[in-house]
Amino acid sequence: MNLKTIGYMTLMFSVTVYSGFYSTDIGKNEIVHFWLAVPAGNVTEPMVLRGIGPPIELSPLVIDLNQRGTLKNLLQPNVEALSTHWIYNLGKKPVKIKMELVNCNIPVKWEVNSNFPYNPETQTFSAMLKPGSSIPNLGIDWIFDIPEDPSDSIWENGVQIVYRGGLRLIDADSGELLTYIPIIIGRGVAALGGASCCG
Amino acid sequence: MWLNDHLKQNRLRYLSLFAGLFLFLAPFALFTRVLYLLIGNMAEPTLHTICYRMPIDWLFAGRYYQLIGSVSAYFILAVVILSFFLGPVFCGWLCPVGSVSEGISRIIPLPEKYRVKLKDTNITTGLRYGFIAGFIIVAAVAGRSLVQGLSSICCRYCSASVLQNFSSALFGDVSAIGYWHSGSIIVLFSWLVLGGVMFSGGRGWCLFFCPLGALSNISHKIGARFGLFNTKFDKEKCVNCEQCNVFCPMQAVKEDHSVETGLCVNCLECTHSCAGKAYSYQRGE
Repeated sequence: MNLKTIGYMTLMFSVTVYSGFYSTDIGKNEIVHFWLAVPAGNVTEPMVLRGIGPPIELSPLVIDLNQRGTLKNLLQPNVEALSTHWIYNLGKKPVKIKMELVNCNIPVKWEVNSNFPYNPETQTFSAMLKPGSSIPNLGIDWIFDIPEDPSDSIWENGVQIVYRGGLRLIDADSGELLTYIPIIIGRGVAALGGASCCG
Repeated sequence: MWLNDHLKQNRLRYLSLFAGLFLFLAPFALFTRVLYLLIGNMAEPTLHTICYRMPIDWLFAGRYYQLIGSVSAYFILAVVILSFFLGPVFCGWLCPVGSVSEGISRIIPLPEKYRVKLKDTNITTGLRYGFIAGFIIVAAVAGRSLVQGLSSICCRYCSASVLQNFSSALFGDVSAIGYWHSGSIIVLFSWLVLGGVMFSGGRGWCLFFCPLGALSNISHKIGARFGLFNTKFDKEKCVNCEQCNVFCPMQAVKEDHSVETGLCVNCLECTHSCAGKAYSYQRGE
C-alpha cells in the first residue's frame, strides 16, 4: 500500500467518521425515531421502563425545526416526521392498543405498517399484544405538515410552537391510559429544555 | 454501431441487472418473497428485508444477538462467500442500487469529459477502503457509546431506502417519497447525481459508500490469491484500444491495464469490449 492510497484512505475515513457525528446532529430533530412501551403512564422526563421483556428507554419528544440540517431546511422545510419501530408490552396482561395524537391542530399523515392486525380508522391494533412481546415488523411514521404562516402557531416567550401535544396509547377495551409521550414541535423550542406533561 | 455491439455482448448482464430489480425491490421482491415463504415469515418483503448495511453494523457494534436469525445477516454472509469463489457477482450482476445508478449514468448523454474519472486506482482503492474502515470504527465506537455525539451511519445514509421509496411511489404509494431528511437528500445526490450521472461508469456510490461492496471485494481479493475466479489481463494481447477504461463501471483498470481485484465486480465489460481479447474471467493465479 503506497502513501497516496493511505492519504486518500485517511481522507475518506475522516469524512465517514464526521458523517457519524452529523448523523447524530440531524437525527435529534429530523424524523426522530423513538421507542414506545406500555404501561409507562405519563412520561414527563426520560425514563427506563422495566418489566417483562427488555428495558425500554422512553422520553418526551422536543423537535426543534431550526436545528435540522441545512439541506432539510432549504429543500423541504414544511414537512417533519416522527417514527417508531417498537411498541412493547412490558405489563402483566395482554392489551389491545389504540393510539391518539392529542391536541393536534396541524395536518398529520399516519403511515402504519406491521405484521399485526391494525384498523386505520380507529388507529387501533385490533389483536391483543401479549406481555413481553412487541408488535412485529412495525413501522409507524407520523408526517406533520408544518404551517408556512407563523401566525398559525402559538408563540411562547418568542418561541414558535407549531405543535404541543403528545402521543397517547390507551387500552382499546377499557379506555385506560397506558402511556403518554409529550411532544413539542417548534422553532427554537430546544431552548425550552423539554416537553411538558399535558396528558 | 459499436454501441449496439456492446449492448449485445453484455446483454446477459443487463438482463440480469434488470431482473435484480424484480428480485429485490418491492412490490415484487421475488427473491425475498420466496425466501420468506420457505421460512414461514408472513411479513411483506422490501429491499430493506435484505439490508446491505445493518448486519455489518451489528457485527462490529457487538450486537450479535441481532444477527441470529436475521435474513439480512445470512444474505450478506452468502454474498461475501460467493465473492470469495466467483468475485462480487452480486454487485456486478444483480444489485438494484448499483444497476439504477449505472443505468442512469449510461442513459443520460453527458459527455465523458464532464464526468469524474479516477485513472489512478490507488486513489479509488484508498477512498473505498477508507470508507469501510470508517464504517466499522463508527459502528464499534457508537455501538458501545464510547464517544458522545457519534452515531451509526448505517440507516441515516441509506441508498437502498431511497430506491425502495422511489419504487413504492412508482407503483402507487406516492407518500413513500413524501418525506426527505438531510441524510436521504445527501444520499440521493451522492448516489444518483455525483456517483451516477457525474461519475464515469455510474458506480460512484458502490465504490465509495457501500460496505457490502467493499467487504465483497476484500473476499474476492483473498479468493483471487487462492487462484479462484477473477478477471485476468494478458499484456501480450493488449492493443491499447482503451475500451477497458471506457466501459469499466468500477474504474478498476490500472495504468498498465491490469485489473485491481479490490475494485473489480467481474461484470465482464472489459472482457467484451477489448479489441485484443486481453481480458478473461477464469481461475488461476
